[in-house]
Amino acid sequence: MAAAEESDEEFRHRFRAFLAEHHPGRAPRDNAAKLAWTREWLALLYDSGFAGPSWPVQFGGMDLAFSKQVVYQEEYTRARVPRPMGTGLGIVAPTIIKYGTIEQKERWLRPMLRGEKIWVQGYSEPGAGSDLPSLTTSARREGDEYVVNGQKVWTTQGSRGDVIFALVRTGTRASRQSGITYLVIDANAPGVEIRPLRDLTGGHAFSEIFFNDVRVPVADRIGEENEGWPLVRTSLGHERAAGAMNQAANYRRILDELVELLRERDRLTDPLVRDELARLEIQVRVMRLNAARVINEIMTRGEPGPTSSVSRLVITAFEQEIHEFAVDTLGPAGLVAGPPPHAVQRGRWLYGFLRTRASTIGAGTAEIQRNTIAEQVLGLPRDPSMPGR
Amino acid sequence: MSVSSVEEQEELRQLVRGFMEDKSTSADVRRAIESGAPYDAALWTTMADQLGLPGIAIPEEFGGAGFGAVELGIVLEELGRALYVGPYFATVVLAGQLLTEVDDPGAQKSWLPGIADGSLTATVAVDEESGSQDLSAVGTTARRADDGWLLDGVKSYVIDGADAGLLLVVARAEGELGIFAVQDSAAGMVRERLDSVDLTRNLARIEFSATPAVRVGAEAAALLGRHRDLVVTALAAEQVGGAARALEMAVDYAKIREQFGRPIGSFQAIKHKCADMLLRVESGRSAAYYAASVVGAGGTEAEIAASMAKAYCSEAYAFVAKENIQIHGGIGFTWEHDAHLFLKRAKGSEVLFGSPAEHRARVAALVGI
Repeated sequence: MAAAEESDEEFRHRFRAFLAEHHPGRAPRDNAAKLAWTREWLALLYDSGFAGPSWPVQFGGMDLAFSKQVVYQEEYTRARVPRPMGTGLGIVAPTIIKYGTIEQKERWLRPMLRGEKIWVQGYSEPGAGSDLPSLTTSARREGDEYVVNGQKVWTTQGSRGDVIFALVRTGTRASRQSGITYLVIDANAPGVEIRPLRDLTGGHAFSEIFFNDVRVPVADRIGEENEGWPLVRTSLGHERAAGAMNQAANYRRILDELVELLRERDRLTDPLVRDELARLEIQVRVMRLNAARVINEIMTRGEPGPTSSVSRLVITAFEQEIHEFAVDTLGPAGLVAGPPPHAVQRGRWLYGFLRTRASTIGAGTAEIQRNTIAEQVLGLPRDPSMPGR
Repeated sequence: MSVSSVEEQEELRQLVRGFMEDKSTSADVRRAIESGAPYDAALWTTMADQLGLPGIAIPEEFGGAGFGAVELGIVLEELGRALYVGPYFATVVLAGQLLTEVDDPGAQKSWLPGIADGSLTATVAVDEESGSQDLSAVGTTARRADDGWLLDGVKSYVIDGADAGLLLVVARAEGELGIFAVQDSAAGMVRERLDSVDLTRNLARIEFSATPAVRVGAEAAALLGRHRDLVVTALAAEQVGGAARALEMAVDYAKIREQFGRPIGSFQAIKHKCADMLLRVESGRSAAYYAASVVGAGGTEAEIAASMAKAYCSEAYAFVAKENIQIHGGIGFTWEHDAHLFLKRAKGSEVLFGSPAEHRARVAALVGI
C-alpha cells in the first residue's frame, strides 16, 4: 500500500469505497447486541488498516498527514458508521503514546484501538470539578502496588468501561498539581464499583466510580509518581481540529431536520421563527467557516490561530440554542417525551434541550474556558487569589 | 482579474496597517472630524499616489490594480481598524464597484481612471427618506430632456453625498430603475450634510429638481442587487477591523487599569467579556473572509455569504464596541476617549445597507427556510 504517495482525493476515494463495502447497517436496538455489533465493526476497521488516523503506524494507527485526517473524519462522519466507544482514544491514547513505556504501549494501544477494551475516564470528583487539582482519591504505595481509595464521578459510558484511566493523589493533601499521579486501573479489579448516575434527562450517560482498597500494579502508572498532572492535556498534533468540520456538518443536518419539522407544522410563516432559524443558519455556517479557518491555519502555518480557542464556545452555545428554540416553537407538543404517537420525533428536541445543559459544564465549564481564552489568548493577568497553575 | 498570493495579501495588510498607524492616528481622526472639512485631502492624495489604494479593485484597463473583493476587504479591514475618515468607502466601494460592474464602457472610461488615481471622489445614492432597502420604494424620477435626463426627488443617508465630485443616483425612468450620473456642479441640486451619529462617516440629504444627469448603463435592478452584495461584503470587512481594534483597546486597558489593588483584567467578569468579544471578532472574521472569497463569483452562495457577513459582523461590532466602553468604565464615557467613535461607527454601519434582521430575512429566503 503506497499510502504515503496517495493524494488526498485518492485516499478519500479508497476510504469511501471501503466504508461503503463494509458498512455494518443499522444498529441493533438491544444494548448488548449493539455493543457486540460496534466491537465487530471496530475490529474490522483495525484489521483493514483504517483505524487510528493520527496514531503511529507501529501501534496499529495510520499516521496520516493532517489534510488526510480531515478527509478521514469527513468520510467517517458521512458514512454514519459506529464511532469508537469510551473516551480513551481521544484522551488517554495520546498520553500513552507520548509518555508510556514501550511495554505499556504494546499492552494497551492495539486492544483500545481495536475496540476490545473500552477505556473510560476517572478525573472529576464530587469535590473536584473545575478545580481538578484539588482531587482527593488517594493511591498509597505498597511494594509493587498502589492501593487506591476514593470516588470519581461524571464518567462517560462508565458502565461499559473495561479500563479506567484516573488521576489520583500520591502526594500530600495540599500538594495540588505536584502530588498527582496518572494510573490505569482495571475496571474489574476487586474494590472497583461502577454505579450508573441518573442525570437530569432521566438517562444514565454517566457513572460514578468508587474505589475501595483497589490494588493497582505500579507497572500501570503512566509517567512518574507525582508527575501525572502535566500529562493531562496531551494531544496528538492537531487531531481534534481534524474533526472540527464534522461537528459543523452534524449540526448542519440537525438544523435542516428542524426546518423540515417546522415546515410540516406550518411554522415557517412566522417572522420570529424565520429570524431565529436564519440566526441558527448563520451560526452553523460560522461554525463550519471557523473550522475551515483553523484547518487552513494548521496546514499553512503549522499552528491554529485564536479561532480554535473560541470554536467550542460557539458550538456549545449553538447546540443549547437550537434545542431550546425547537422546544419553544413546538409549543405544548414540545413538552411531551417518549415513543409515538404523542411525542414529536420521540422527544428528541426535548431530550436535546435537557442534555445540552451539560455542554457548558463537561470537559471544562464555559466559564473556565473563557478564563483560559482571556489568559492564554488575550494575555489578561491571572487572578492573584487563585492557586498557581 | 489579478490574483494575489497569501503572502502578497499579508504584505498588503502590513503596508496599509503601517500607513494608517502613521497617518490616521487618533489625533488625525479627531482633527478630521473637528476640522469642518469633509476629509483630509492631503492624506487622500497620499493614499492614491503612494499606495494606489483607490484603484485596488478597479480593472487594469481603467488604471486600477485589477484585484477583487478579497484585496479590497483587506484594505477595508485596515481602514476600519484606524477609523479612517475620508472618501474611500463612498468613492471606491460604492461608486467604484458600481462603475466596475455596470455594462457601460463609456461611463467606465469617463470616471474609473479618476477614481483609481484619486482625482475624483464619488458616491452612490439609493436610499430615500424612508430608509427602505426595497428598491421598489425608489421615488426619485428621471425624465428625458433634450440632451440627457432631468432628475426630481429626494435622496437621503447618502455617504459623502454633500461633498462627492460625482453622484450616481438611482431613479425611476420610464417604468424601470436606472443609474444617473450627476456632476457636483449640476444645477437644481441642494445637498445638506446630516448631523448623524457616526462622526467618522458623513451622510447627506440631497434634493433634485430638474437636475441634469447622464444615464449610466441600462435597467439596473439586478446590477444594484449584486452591487449591494459587494458593498455589504466590504463593509463587513471594515466592521471586523473596527471590532478587532475595539477588542484590543479593551484588553490593553484591562491589563493596566487597577482597582482593588489589581488589574481589572484579572477579574473573571472582565475576562469573560473579553473572551466573548474575541468569539465574535473571530467568527465575524470567518464570515467576512468567506464572503469576500465568494462574492465575486455571484450567484446564490454569494448572496447568502454577503448577507450572512453583514448580519453577523454588524452585531459583532456593535457588541464589541459596547463592551469596550463598559470595560473602560467612566473614561470610556468621555468625549476624549476614542471608544465612542468606534461605537458610533459600529451603530452606523449596522443600520446602513440593511439591518441584521433584514439580512437574516434574506438569508432565510435564500436557503429555502
